[in-house]
Formats: sequence, C-alpha cells, structure tokens
Amino acid sequence: MATSLVRKTKLLSMVSSQLNSAACFRNIHCTAACLKNRAARIRVAKGDKPVTYEQAYHPHHIGHRKGWLSQHTSNLQGEDGAAERVVEDVFIRRFMYGTFHGCLADEVVIKRRGNLLLICAVMIQKLLPSKFYFLIGYTEELLSHFYKCPVKIEMQTVEEKVVYKYL
Amino acid sequence: MASSCSQALRHHVCKSIFFLLLLLILFIFSEEIVIPKKKTWSKEAVLQALASTVKRDPTASDYRFQDDPYLTPKTSSEFKLFSLSQESGRNAAKYFINTYPKYFQKDYAQPHIPCLMPDTLEAQIEEVSEAALIERIGMRKVKAAVDLYDQLLQAGTSVSLDVTNQLLDLICFYGDHDPAQENVPEQRNEETEDVQDEPQAKKGRAAKASDLLKATWKEKNNAERIFALLSEPNKHSYSALIRGMVKYGAYSKAFSTYTDLLNSRLKADMHMFNALITAAPEVKEKYNEKWELIVDLLKQMAEQKVRPNLLTLNAVLKALRRCGTVGKSQAFPVISEMKALSIDLSLASYTHLLAIFYKPGAPIQGQTDILQEVMNEVSGKSFTPQDPDDAQFFITAMRICLDTKDMEQAYRVHELLGVGENWRLLGNDFQQNIYYARFFSLLCMMENIDVMLKWYRDLVPSVYYPSSNVMRDLLQALDTDNRLDLIPQIWKDIKQLGHANRQNLVEELLTLMAREKHNQEVQESFAECALDIKKIYDTGDRGKVLLNWTAGSLSDLISVLLAAHRRQDAWDMLKLFKTHNRVPSEELLNKFLMCVKEGGEVNQAVELVQISAGFCLPGTPKLIQRVQQEFELTEQKMLSDLEIQSFNSE
Repeated sequence: MATSLVRKTKLLSMVSSQLNSAACFRNIHCTAACLKNRAARIRVAKGDKPVTYEQAYHPHHIGHRKGWLSQHTSNLQGEDGAAERVVEDVFIRRFMYGTFHGCLADEVVIKRRGNLLLICAVMIQKLLPSKFYFLIGYTEELLSHFYKCPVKIEMQTVEEKVVYKYL
Repeated sequence: MASSCSQALRHHVCKSIFFLLLLLILFIFSEEIVIPKKKTWSKEAVLQALASTVKRDPTASDYRFQDDPYLTPKTSSEFKLFSLSQESGRNAAKYFINTYPKYFQKDYAQPHIPCLMPDTLEAQIEEVSEAALIERIGMRKVKAAVDLYDQLLQAGTSVSLDVTNQLLDLICFYGDHDPAQENVPEQRNEETEDVQDEPQAKKGRAAKASDLLKATWKEKNNAERIFALLSEPNKHSYSALIRGMVKYGAYSKAFSTYTDLLNSRLKADMHMFNALITAAPEVKEKYNEKWELIVDLLKQMAEQKVRPNLLTLNAVLKALRRCGTVGKSQAFPVISEMKALSIDLSLASYTHLLAIFYKPGAPIQGQTDILQEVMNEVSGKSFTPQDPDDAQFFITAMRICLDTKDMEQAYRVHELLGVGENWRLLGNDFQQNIYYARFFSLLCMMENIDVMLKWYRDLVPSVYYPSSNVMRDLLQALDTDNRLDLIPQIWKDIKQLGHANRQNLVEELLTLMAREKHNQEVQESFAECALDIKKIYDTGDRGKVLLNWTAGSLSDLISVLLAAHRRQDAWDMLKLFKTHNRVPSEELLNKFLMCVKEGGEVNQAVELVQISAGFCLPGTPKLIQRVQQEFELTEQKMLSDLEIQSFNSE
C-alpha cells in the first residue's frame, strides 16, 4: 500500500514537471469568449427584425453617430472610481429592466451631476400612469437608499418602440 | 540780476501756484477714501441669482410629475391619484429597506447622510433598565415604554423624575396610543380595533371615521396613573398632563389639575397657560364668562412672572373668535398689549383677527377697512410657519374678499403669496383648491373677460384644476361680457378637466349656445361643439349612459344645428325625441319648418306635421295651416293632411 502511494506521487510530480517545461504551455481557459468584434452588434438577417437607432449603429459609431449611454467624470485624467461607476451602471440597468418589465423602449441613459444620479428612460405606454408613478417612487427611493445619493428618474413615454430599420 | 530776480520771482510764483493747486486738490478730495469691506457671498448665491430670473412656467404641470403628456395629470382627481401612487411607491421601498436593512448598510456618502440609512425600528436594549426606557421613549413606542416603566417599578428600581417626565410627555402627546406606523400595516389593524370600542362606549353614538382618527382622553389612562404614582410631581409633570388633557378634549379635568397645581404651590409655565387659554372657551358658556376666565388666566400669568409668547397671543385671539361681540371689542387691546411686549404677529394672529370681525355668513356692516389695514401691515413681508393656523390665513382672507366683493384686496392677497417663502403657508392641495376656487369666482364676478381669461390661462391647469361650479361661473362671466364665441374653447377645457359628464354644466352650455343668433363662423363652431356634445350623450362603449337627454337640452342642440344650417344632423336628432320619450316644443317645430322651407323639402315638412300630430301637440293645426300655405302639396299629401287635421280636431 505504501509503495503504490509513493509511486502515484512520483507519477504526479513527473507529470507536473513536464507541464511546467517550455514544451507544453496550455493553461486552463475559465471565462466565456467575449469577442470585441461581435459586441453590441446586431448582424444583418432576413429583413424582418426591427431594430432601434441605438441597436443599429455599432460601437465604433459612438461619438460619431451615437451618444454615450453613461455619463460621468471618472474617466478623466486624475479621477478615480471608474470601475465602481461601471458596476453601479450595470446594477441600475438590470434594476430598471426588471422593475419596468417590458416597458423599456430603449437603453437607459445614466447621467451623474455632482451628487445626483439621473436615470433617463424612454418607456412604452404599456402601464397606466398611476402604475408608472408607483414604480418611479419605488425606484427613486430604493436606489437613493442603496447608493446614498439622490436618484431622480426622467421618463418619456412613446406609444410603441421606435424602429429605425429592419435588419 | 533782474533776470535772476525775475527767475526767482517766477520760481516763487510757480511754487505758490503749485501749492495752491495742491490745496485745491486736497480740498476737493478732502473726504477719506473708504475701502469697502469684502463682500462674502453664500455658496448658493449664483444659483439663487439664476433662479430669480426664471418665473413659473404656466404650461408645465407640478414639479412632482414627469414632463410627458401621457404622464401629466389633466384633472384634479388624476393629480391626487398620481401623487398618491408615487407616495405609495416610496412607502413600498421604505418597507423593503427597513425589513432588510443589512443590504443598505454600506455607506458611500461623505459626509454621512443619515436620512438615507435604514431606520432602526426595533429597540436594541433588551434588559429592564432606565436606559432602555429612554430608548423606547426616543423611538416613540408608547405602549412598550409604559410596560417597561411598570416593570421597572415592580422590580423596585426607582426611575428619576426627568425620565418620568419624558415618559409623561410621550404619553400625553400621543394620547396613550401608539403613533400610526405607516410601513407596518398589520399593527394598524389592531389599533383601530382598540380605538373603535372606546368611543362607542363613552359617547354612545355611532363611531364615525373622524372619531377613530381623533382620539379622546380616556378615564384613568396611563398618564393619570403614572402621575398619581409620582411622589413629588414638579411643574413639568403638571404641564405635560394639562397639555395632554387639553389636546385630547378633557377640558374641565385640565382646569381641575391646574387648581391642584396652585394648591401645591408650584408655578405654572408658559405652555401650560397656553393650553389653559385654549381650553377656556370650552368650559364656560357665556361670552363674558369666557373672557373673564381668560383675563383671569392672563393676570395669574403676570403674577407668576411668566412671559407670554406668540402662541399665547394666538390662543387668546382664537378664543375671542368664540366670544361674539366681546371678541370684537377686546381684540385690538389684546394686540396692542402684545405688541408692547414686543411679540411679532404671525399670519395666524391675522387670521383670527379677520375671523373675529368677518363671521362667515353674517352680513357685512361696513367693516371693510379691517381687511385693508391687515393687508397694509402684511404686504411685502415674508412669513415663516410659527403656528399651525398660519395655513388658514390665505383661504380666510380670500373668503372675506369674496364676501365683500373686494377685488383690490384679493389682488394684494395673491401678491402676498408670491413674496419670499409665503407659498409654503398656502396649505395642502385641498386648501389650495379652496383658495383658487374662491379667487376665480371673485374674478368671474368682478373683472371683465379679458382679465379673467388672462388669469385663467396663467393658472389653469398648471396650478389649479377648476371644479364644475367654477366653470359655470366662467360661462356666466362670458355671457355677461358677450363673448359667447369663446364657448367652444371652454368646452374643450371642460372635456379635458373631466367635467363633461355633469348634467347641469352641459345643459347650461347648450342653452347659452342656442339662445341668440351669432354670425356665420361662430354658428359653425357652435355646431361642431354641439355635435361633440351629442357624442357624450350617446351610450358609451360599455352601455353605460353618462348623461340623460332632457327636452330642453335636445331642443337647444337642435336649434344650434339649425342655426348653422345642418339640416340632416338636426333631422336625425329629431328622431331622438321619440326614442327618449321627450316632447318637443312648438317653437322648435316652427323653427324647423322655417329651415325646411328654405330647403324646400316637402316630404320633410309633411313628416314634421306627422311628428307633431304624433305628440298631440296643441299647435298642430297651426302647423298644418302653415304647411298648406307655404308649400305646394300634391293631392295625396293634402288628403293625408286633412286626415290628420280631422284626427286632431277630434
């Protein structure tokens, strides 16, 4: 018994030493593949898929034909907190998507002015105005307490999703 | 030598001239140059300056709402619904935050913002001690505090007088009930059940909703019990007890407690006197007695060297409101005494003053100058809220302007609303509505239509949603000034405000349109408006009937359509008389006949006669005569006419 154990450990050390040698250098890949030339692009299909302006233009058009969806100053020289802002933005987008489920007509725009967090959303007129106001009050209060800063929502409603073209 | 002499002389002259000039300059600029002190601006100075350039936008709705046509409230009920639903959303969020506080503890804010942290609703200190009692008092938990106090006494530990006084304050302020907790609905049910039993047993009449909300001072409640347990109550304890009694309606008890206080040779404080003065009109019946009691209390206050404050003055004035003629004679002396003590009047004092002199419903006896004097004193000043009755000033003043029909003072009152922070004193939405309703009624009565419409466009619907009564006043004002051509626009506003289902309003509108003949364009617009109104009368999509036709409204509508020569529409409407069991008037049929004559439709004329006969109108024979005279009838038709004639004469 003892001898077989010793042999197994020897085998393991042989294998690991072989792995560390220059010849074989395959490491384990853990994350999903996120290709930068496939991000935020809707590919051209049969012609029956409605697509909004935001979705139709690809990321290299940002600054040229599109604006920014998130506006804050932490990407300027000497400012910090960019990573935290990104995480906050992701949370806020998911929160808005879930709270106003099925009502969002387009991406949420997040603006930061001093201490204030301004969430600008375009909604479809799917709910009654009183229900919209309930959700607005709820979101503002919850996010203010969560992020310890005043959060305001600016909402605009449209009757249907505004289609830019069909891809 | 001469030259040198002259040179010296010139030199001297130059010098003297120079000297003279210097003197002159010094003389002119003889005041000291004062360098002004450096001005320091507050941090918000720029923002305030910018804000002062922006006036209210009359096309926007209230700041609470989103700036979107779908989300803007158009009627006053929508206004209330949207603001309440926003509040209930906030309450739902607060419920989640307070139920799961561990997710909201991370503090990003520098400096710390305490109002954005979750509330601690549960008491932390569990053991039976004085510190735990203080904590529960701070969290406003009345029942828990009283229970803990009893436990402390049973355990034998004595509680200090200060803490007992705080407990007494708590109980007396909340009237021995726990304050309503908004976020915990199940607790409220228990409380309402408790309160429901008490007033029924005590008063012996059906407990209305207002009784449930307004608690009363129960016999032998905790405050009295704890007070009795105190070995040496000091004036703070007495004060708390008396103020609680007065707040919850036990007035005579308050006075008996006060006599106890005097007997134990303690001194009273200002709050106690304020409470007693408030209670004075309740315990006595006659005006004189009430006033004597108040004077007595004030004398004792002076004896005990207690300084009165603004609330004392307001309590006296409020009590004088219930003293009839005594109030009128004593009001000004009271005010001058208080001014001598350098107490500034607040809006509540002015409210009580106006209410003393202008009783609602009483005829005005030439006392209009009091309102003017009050406005003279008050104009241009910015007031801060100091008394709960401050919020009554604007509606009281506007009521008086409406009763005395004083437009000038009404403008001054409205101007006062724009000064500084006074807009905060207008009150809640309900009071705001009352204020603007009175203002508008006064405008409709007194001002000409252009001024009225200017105010209308300014205030409606951004600040005020008029009720149907105010819209009727507006229609009457249009009538008085002969601007009936504006009716179609007003009708659009009425529809938008949600008053289109008010029978009175719509009928009045139709009557005004049908009464006189106007020029062609106006008649066309009236006809469009009339057809629009007709749609309202027709059954809604769910079979729900909004409005009922009356004979008058039908006739008016048809007259309007006829005046615009819409014969076909009018003819369709005539059929409605039969379906809705209403009888047309003779005038209407005569008018119709005239119209038909212009068109020359013989068949229609005969049908008209038949309709008239169908309703057995007394004017049918005349109608038949007219038809026979004015139209060329074929023989067939003449025969049928004769038939009808003979039928009618029977």
